[in-house]
Amino acid sequence: MNSTESNARAEQAEIDASAKWPVLVFFGSALVWLLLGGALQLIASIQLHTPTFLSACAWTTHGRIVPAAQNALVYGWGMNAAFAFGLWLMARLSATTLRHGGWLFVAAKFWNVGVTLGILGILGGYSTSFELLEMPRYVTLILLVAYALVGVWAVTTFSIRNTENVYASQWYLFGAAFWFPWLYAIAQIMLLKAPVRGVLQPLVNAWYVHGLYGLWFIPMALAAAYYFLPKILGKPIANYYLAPLAFWWLVGTTAFAGGSRLIGSPVPVWISTLGGAANFLLVVPVVVIAINLLGTLAGQTAALGRSITLRFILISILGFILASGLNFALSIRGFAQVVQFTLVTELRDWLILYATFSTAMFGAAYFILPRLTGREWRSSALVKAHFGSAALGVILLTVGLAYGGYVQGQMLADAKVPFGEITQALTFWFAFRSVGLLVLLIGHVAFLINFAWIACPICSNETETAQFRTPPALNLPKAHAAEGHA
Amino acid sequence: MKNGLALFLGVFAILGLSWAGLLLSAHRQLGSLSQFKDPVEETLYPQPLSGLANQGRLVYQDLGCVSCHTQQVRHEGFGSDIERKWGQRASYARDYIRESSVLIGQSRIGPDLRNAGSTELHSYADADYFYSLLYAPQSVAPGTNMPSYAFLFETHALAGRQPSYGAIKLTGRYAPAAGYEIVPTARARALVAYLQSLKDTYDYPTERNLNAPAETAKEGGH
Repeated sequence: MNSTESNARAEQAEIDASAKWPVLVFFGSALVWLLLGGALQLIASIQLHTPTFLSACAWTTHGRIVPAAQNALVYGWGMNAAFAFGLWLMARLSATTLRHGGWLFVAAKFWNVGVTLGILGILGGYSTSFELLEMPRYVTLILLVAYALVGVWAVTTFSIRNTENVYASQWYLFGAAFWFPWLYAIAQIMLLKAPVRGVLQPLVNAWYVHGLYGLWFIPMALAAAYYFLPKILGKPIANYYLAPLAFWWLVGTTAFAGGSRLIGSPVPVWISTLGGAANFLLVVPVVVIAINLLGTLAGQTAALGRSITLRFILISILGFILASGLNFALSIRGFAQVVQFTLVTELRDWLILYATFSTAMFGAAYFILPRLTGREWRSSALVKAHFGSAALGVILLTVGLAYGGYVQGQMLADAKVPFGEITQALTFWFAFRSVGLLVLLIGHVAFLINFAWIACPICSNETETAQFRTPPALNLPKAHAAEGHA
Repeated sequence: MKNGLALFLGVFAILGLSWAGLLLSAHRQLGSLSQFKDPVEETLYPQPLSGLANQGRLVYQDLGCVSCHTQQVRHEGFGSDIERKWGQRASYARDYIRESSVLIGQSRIGPDLRNAGSTELHSYADADYFYSLLYAPQSVAPGTNMPSYAFLFETHALAGRQPSYGAIKLTGRYAPAAGYEIVPTARARALVAYLQSLKDTYDYPTERNLNAPAETAKEGGH
């Protein structure tokens, strides 16, 4: 280890120390929500094949459990995990410590109080019934203020960066940090504060939902992939010069793709046509990103076997490609008219939230947390259980929702099939989904136990101190040395 | 990429353009859509909900019915909505302008409800049907996976009195024990009023051609 390297290590250790508690708090809350949301999701899924399950009480009726589960997963797990990961990565890539982290506790507190109140509001009957905006109006301001703190911290950390270059992961993080509050505030104003009329409401809702998935969760997952691949493999991103093109093209077209959700709806046809065209154009950046990421991974089977982070990131990349493919397919009128409103549309969003985003966050956590706490993951069996259940769950649910949804669509399209028969035929697939969700939930419990052993001040006393291999030095050709792989 | 300002401006422009291009231009096109006055009937369509039905809309919203039910009829040739008798015609943007929250939905685990209250399409869909459906879904729709909304009803002991005016009629295994009656609460009555109000009966002459399938070019024609 020469002196520049040890300097770099010392600097990283200082950054990690400054980010330790905010990251642990955000990630810990995220995990609690992941389990809670997963349990609610499982209940909702069971209710579809066993309708009497928990139907006696208004608080647990299916129509309330579904949005409560979705909100817990998106705002509880998804946003908290993204905050933890995003703040840490922004500090690392900007080569600067996370200053005044105490304020981030305030943000974490308010955010989680807001989400809790919102979900209780949904269960208590104050849902607005707008997709992903179901939380009652009284939590909007709490969430926005809490987010403002996090967003300002991310952007400030970026603007006091000590690096020459801005790396791909930073574009995605920076963009997402700006897009979310705008999307959320505009949707709140146009739907709840000063509602627009008629079918403009579903349009605003579709624009928001598509933006949240495409301009928040996907950028977070890609930021992780662009960072961890070169970091762990010690080689730069393949064809990195294409990455800026992919970034601008991806986010620029995604921003217009929201209308594709309204195909066949009573809105002017140009809206869904524009959305469909945007989804077609997305093929280019998805291919470029695949070249970037899979090209970097090509031939690195041994490294994949060694690194749990890489394996999770690989699932995330495949999930992203699959989700983009499904989005593309759902813009084709012939396909959309069959599978619209079925389990396949549910699969589209699930692929982004779980297969793309959540797996990337798991991968990131396995890398980040030992470095922040200085401790090893205590149980490698639990790590394996988590990865195994995530991989199995992703396969089960993708197959189940795709095939079950296609069967559902085929039957719906045939007017001679009575509706009751469709329900009967789907019972198997609903049960199949419950099994898939249960598999995922088991993995999440395994992860939570390991997390407690590494992060909780009391339970982690007996956990071994981590020994890190020096990360492989980036083999940058001189010309690329300025590309800013921090 | 080195320039933080360029990044910021690009990020800002993308969202601004998408907002203006998608939401603002749709608003320009549809925001001032007005009711249509039928020249013969001299009535404005679409008509507003009754007060009770409007309360029922809030119950519909609060119970999350939108999780499983859509409220949009797709046009002939795009799915089987019309053949399934979910509507006599496709839904138009104008149908929704009087609704304070428009829940067109995105899942059809249950059937579409845009015309659930239309007795022309569903001759059985009277108030009794909806009460039975909500209290014990299996009693009128065997095999359905709709949950029971029994919590919207109260069970009263008759104690020798005549059954109440609003008591719901249930037979067989779903009927209450002898000497008891099932009475809908105010919320159930509002919800049923809302469901019965769901029907787009009026066909706007201005919109009639909008959703017709495009004419196929005749052979040899231009």
